[in-house]
Amino acid sequence: MKLRKIMALCMAAVLAASLTACGAAPAADTAAPAAEAPAAAAEEEAPQDMGGSVEGELNVTIWDEGQRPGLQEIVDDWSAQSGVKATIQVVDWNNYWTLLEAGATGGELPDVFWMHSNVAQKYMENDLLMDLTDKIAASDKIDLANYYEGIVNLYKSNDKQYAVPKDIDTIALWYNKTIFDEMGVPYPDDTWTWDDFAANAKKLTNDDHWGYAIAPGNNQEGYYNTIYSMGGYVISDDKKTSGMDDPNTIQAVKLFTDMIADGSCPDLATVSETAPNELLQAGKTAMAINGSWMLAGYRDNEYTAQNCDVAVLPYYKDPSDRVSIYNGLGWAASANTKNPDAAWSLIEYLGSKEAQLKQAELGVTMSAFKGTSDAWVKSVDCFDLNGHMKMLDAKLVFRPYSRDTTVWEDMMIEKLQDAWTGEKPVDEVCKDIAAEMNADLAEE
Amino acid sequence: MKKKASSRKKSEFIWGWLFILPTMLGLIILNIYPMIDTVRQSFYKTGDFGKGNIFVGLNNYEKVLGDAEVWQALANTVKYAIVEVPLSIVIALLLAVLLNKKLKGRDVFRTILFLPMVVAPAAIAMVWKWLYNSNFGFINNVFHIKVNWISDPKIAIFSIAVIGIWSVIGYNMVLFLAGLQEVPRDYYEAAALDGANGWQQLIHITVPLISPTMFFVLVTRVIGAMQVFDLIYMMIDLNNPAWKKTESLVFLFYKYSFEQSKKGYGATVVVVLLVVILLLTVMQLIVQKKWVHYE
Repeated sequence: MKLRKIMALCMAAVLAASLTACGAAPAADTAAPAAEAPAAAAEEEAPQDMGGSVEGELNVTIWDEGQRPGLQEIVDDWSAQSGVKATIQVVDWNNYWTLLEAGATGGELPDVFWMHSNVAQKYMENDLLMDLTDKIAASDKIDLANYYEGIVNLYKSNDKQYAVPKDIDTIALWYNKTIFDEMGVPYPDDTWTWDDFAANAKKLTNDDHWGYAIAPGNNQEGYYNTIYSMGGYVISDDKKTSGMDDPNTIQAVKLFTDMIADGSCPDLATVSETAPNELLQAGKTAMAINGSWMLAGYRDNEYTAQNCDVAVLPYYKDPSDRVSIYNGLGWAASANTKNPDAAWSLIEYLGSKEAQLKQAELGVTMSAFKGTSDAWVKSVDCFDLNGHMKMLDAKLVFRPYSRDTTVWEDMMIEKLQDAWTGEKPVDEVCKDIAAEMNADLAEE
Repeated sequence: MKKKASSRKKSEFIWGWLFILPTMLGLIILNIYPMIDTVRQSFYKTGDFGKGNIFVGLNNYEKVLGDAEVWQALANTVKYAIVEVPLSIVIALLLAVLLNKKLKGRDVFRTILFLPMVVAPAAIAMVWKWLYNSNFGFINNVFHIKVNWISDPKIAIFSIAVIGIWSVIGYNMVLFLAGLQEVPRDYYEAAALDGANGWQQLIHITVPLISPTMFFVLVTRVIGAMQVFDLIYMMIDLNNPAWKKTESLVFLFYKYSFEQSKKGYGATVVVVLLVVILLLTVMQLIVQKKWVHYE
């Protein structure tokens, strides 16, 4: 009896430990935390494994289901030329990074995949990505001067280039024309200041809808733009200190907390349960600040296609301080792929003017290749995408990042809750964030 | 004669091990090795991609004990377990007793109650998320109330526990039904002759006689509830005001290990959870002497 009990105890322990050790594989996605979030959330069961490199066939992995059809078309063009088969696999944003890291640790990365500013530095320093420097120098298709500089530099470490820029995004003000007409407010244009924005949001609010809905978890589609527009900053250029306690930064966050307080923006509980883009699609908010990657989602939604349009973001004091926080993905290859030549050939093609132009024409995203955005603007009839394209002429600020961006970014999102709910004064919250962020940065 | 027996014993021994070998291998590779490795990692500050780990001794443990977030997560987990475990057992037991009687459509009810167990947790969470939605959700709109079921820090964890109860009742019920088959009919007949009503029969006959099953369900449910993760992961995200009051220990482990790549610290959190579960289980093994009746 005694022995049986001990055995039972051991089994319970094993059960307990094994269940925790494996962790439940999370399926489907929660609200994506940062930029380039999946526009059309892929409601698929999460694959357990990304699949490594197989000889003679390329495994391409991305996180946005909305972009897959267009990209597959481009990749098929390449397959027709090269005779190598390549399939695109989609893993949603949250699981993408978990699985990519697991793959990197086990030496089983996909052949070709997307890189992002949040973690690029870490992957480059650990030699997990294929060094493309010499290949680019020898290529007649790729000249890095053709792409937006911030994106090129992002994927550079120790003077080596590890990825070819894929796209660029801009942030703009999406609005519901029907609600503006109903409330008798003129549509937003390039004369709006952030004060006009707040004042008009108030006018656009009634019992049925709000004036504006904030995405508290998505800094790039929100307060980062006002922070840099108002002269504040999030992280210093040397990535050593936080700018969250800068008075201008605090003022920029306060713009939104005031809107929540006066009711023209829904409270945190509402936006945490129903994302702002869902509110826009349901006609529940007059305005939302969104990235250009949302195009596919809004275009394919009947309501937004009929009722919504897009304008440039407001400025603070002078049109020159109109800011768009931008980011751009890069096409990277695994350092130990079994098909190095094919992988490079695909990346070279994806970065070529031809493919970049096609990406814009198909309305997949704006391309990183300068001068191709006109094609993107023409890719849809239902919206005037000049709102997004003109943001390319605004002050482009690269999305703040460091080596371990997620650590302080998550902390910031968590702490800002107290500011959105009004539980603590904004300056107190921001100073608290700055202190902890400085500690995190010191550890990197 | 003697020699033959021992050679038979020997071959039984070899075959016995051969038969359990596949399971043993699986257990060692998938469970036991990762478990030991997790404990080992909890003494390290892990580097990127499993390279460059630095041994830090008990540093992680010191940090965990002083980490308010860990204590909050433990409190959240316990709150969840306290609601989920007893309610799911009591309700499942009552349903099992009811469905053990000859009822019209008994199998239909049994199937319906077991269904949530078969459905993927992701699907469950998606449906409940919309039922609970404070502005557009079914519950609030039907009853014309305005309750922030999953974003009010005070009640969110209980709302999630309700889903936990709902999805586990069927499983508990099936176990109880199996236990009830073992209870001899004569006891009830004798009790009925003595004038005991249904409630008295339940308390004085059914409960004591299926107490071994109840004990098993209790132990496994406590372990399961302490490891709650998927429901919370699906229902609550970083923006949710109830985030801090719903984060469970496994969630915290996931956050540190996979979202922030601090594998060492994550491992420490999960070892703490293991110790907590072990303590709870040992306590139950001691207390069971007082209430579990083996025949």
